[in-house]
Amino acid sequence: MQQAINALLIGISNGFIYSLMALALVLVWRSTRVINFAQAGQAILSTYIAFEIVTRTDNFILAFIGGVIAGALVGAVVEILLMRTLFKHVSDGPVAALAPVIASLGLLGLIRSIIGMVWGNDQKPFFPPVSTNGFTFGETTVPFSRMNLLIVLGAATVMIIFTLIFQKSNLGLALRAAAFQPEIARLAGVRVGEIRTIGWIFAGAAGAVAGILISPNDAITPYSLDSLLIFGFVAAVIGGLESLTGAVVGGLTLGIGLSFILTYIGTSLIFPATFVVLALVLLIRPQGLFGSKAARNA
Amino acid sequence: MHSLRRLFLFIISSLILLALSLKVEELRVYQGAQIAIYALGISSIVLLTGYSGQVSLGNGAFMAIGAYSAALTQIHWHLPLFVTFIVGTFSAALAGAILGGGAARLSGPYLAGATLALAVGLPTLANQFTIFNGETGLDYTAGTPPTWFGESFTLYKWFFWIALINVMLMMFFLRNITSSRYGRTWKALRGNPVAAQLSGIQVGGSKVLAFTISAGVAGLAGTLLGMIGFVGPTGFGLGLSFALVTGAVLSGVTSLAGSMLGAVVLVAIPELASVVAHRLGDTERVTSNLPGLIMSTLLILTVLFTPNGPAEQIRKHKARKQ
Repeated sequence: MQQAINALLIGISNGFIYSLMALALVLVWRSTRVINFAQAGQAILSTYIAFEIVTRTDNFILAFIGGVIAGALVGAVVEILLMRTLFKHVSDGPVAALAPVIASLGLLGLIRSIIGMVWGNDQKPFFPPVSTNGFTFGETTVPFSRMNLLIVLGAATVMIIFTLIFQKSNLGLALRAAAFQPEIARLAGVRVGEIRTIGWIFAGAAGAVAGILISPNDAITPYSLDSLLIFGFVAAVIGGLESLTGAVVGGLTLGIGLSFILTYIGTSLIFPATFVVLALVLLIRPQGLFGSKAARNA
Repeated sequence: MHSLRRLFLFIISSLILLALSLKVEELRVYQGAQIAIYALGISSIVLLTGYSGQVSLGNGAFMAIGAYSAALTQIHWHLPLFVTFIVGTFSAALAGAILGGGAARLSGPYLAGATLALAVGLPTLANQFTIFNGETGLDYTAGTPPTWFGESFTLYKWFFWIALINVMLMMFFLRNITSSRYGRTWKALRGNPVAAQLSGIQVGGSKVLAFTISAGVAGLAGTLLGMIGFVGPTGFGLGLSFALVTGAVLSGVTSLAGSMLGAVVLVAIPELASVVAHRLGDTERVTSNLPGLIMSTLLILTVLFTPNGPAEQIRKHKARKQ
């Protein structure tokens, strides 16, 4: 019983991080119809910036804010410099259809090399701002620490802010309209181009939060968020790639599911298990839990 | 007649390359083997993306499957070298057939994500099961050249000969299959899946076949790469899959001959980078990251400005002039 509770707690904490990454991927997918594999690169760049601030000032809150702003800016820069140019030059041909995917892959490599040149490829210790020792209730210590609490609260705050923006504000309405029917949204006076950039900005910020919250558990390297990208992608696919709620549910499902597999079967199976989950979702319910049938035409 | 001439051409060019290897420095011979192997790896993507219109970011994983199964059969069953090549090719093809069954139902971004997951996930297995011997990897060797080849016939020359003969055989097979009924079927699929289906092409079956052959080709390339280096998770990670995609995009994805160009660029980049890094003062950070920087920049620029490859661009330019 205790083991199951432990697995659940670890799963929830990880699941929130996966949800954030999935949110970032979904936001970009909705606005531009691109799976942004560079999201891992953008997130790790923001994390390195936060790391730099925290080592200089020893102030985690400042570092967090700085990292998230950097993430948002990087998102905007990528959309304006790379994606707009890409869609301007888009032409027929076997590669043209894949061009955004390949460009995002190239960008991932580029960001990593730049990080490697500036900070080096070796592991950097990202010290946690709060204790990582699990809470103790009476005799038992659960694997859920203040850091995990911070992760859950931080991720939940981001999700609440996004929900408020998307459901209550005019900007949110424009974002939803531009994602749903770009041509009609444009006719209705929505500046679709700018709205796209805002989608990328939100995604960049969400990815940055995910990177900064997950990294204090471990050291950071230019490659340390690769696996998070995969988990985020699988979570987004579980949720249907279109739906923000789906991304959160998908992330939590994947986090808890993987945590149980880790606890009861063994750590060696984490990637094969992820892959099997992805394959099952794609084969049984390709439109995801929250997607409509028509959504998967791309 | 046409195919006879092609066979003749392949044999002649192989003989020229083999003879050439006796005349150049050791390092160049080794790089020649690398180019041949990368060309084969890139061809596996050309076949898949350029012909059948599917995308795979995970062909590095199929190379790993080929290399590991070849190495394991050599270590545990002491099978002769050419049998391990066949094992490597077919086990990767089998994995490709299984995955291809699922892949045929997926479109662009989903397939890209799924294969990327494979490329990231598969190498981690090496550290989980003792049979794969973790980071140290497995020793897989082509042995030493037969003594009657003479003293001057070095190990690298031996590697090059084996690699080149394998690559040429596989390339010949690919060249033939892409100009056969199957090749035309794939092209039709890529151009317009609905029209292809209406004209009686089995969409699913053809896609699975392309995926299987592509994986098999990648498996052989991986086996050869393991032979000239070693079989470990670091050599077959995401970086290899990236390199293949970069090479394929640089060579224009639609032509098998172009894969040579992509392979040359892949091998030349680290050389070029080390020269530049030397100018910049040879710090560890620059030296180890410059090749990646150059490669990703090239990839992005190619996709942005000549999405169908430089060769295609030149062809179009010529066509416009006429």
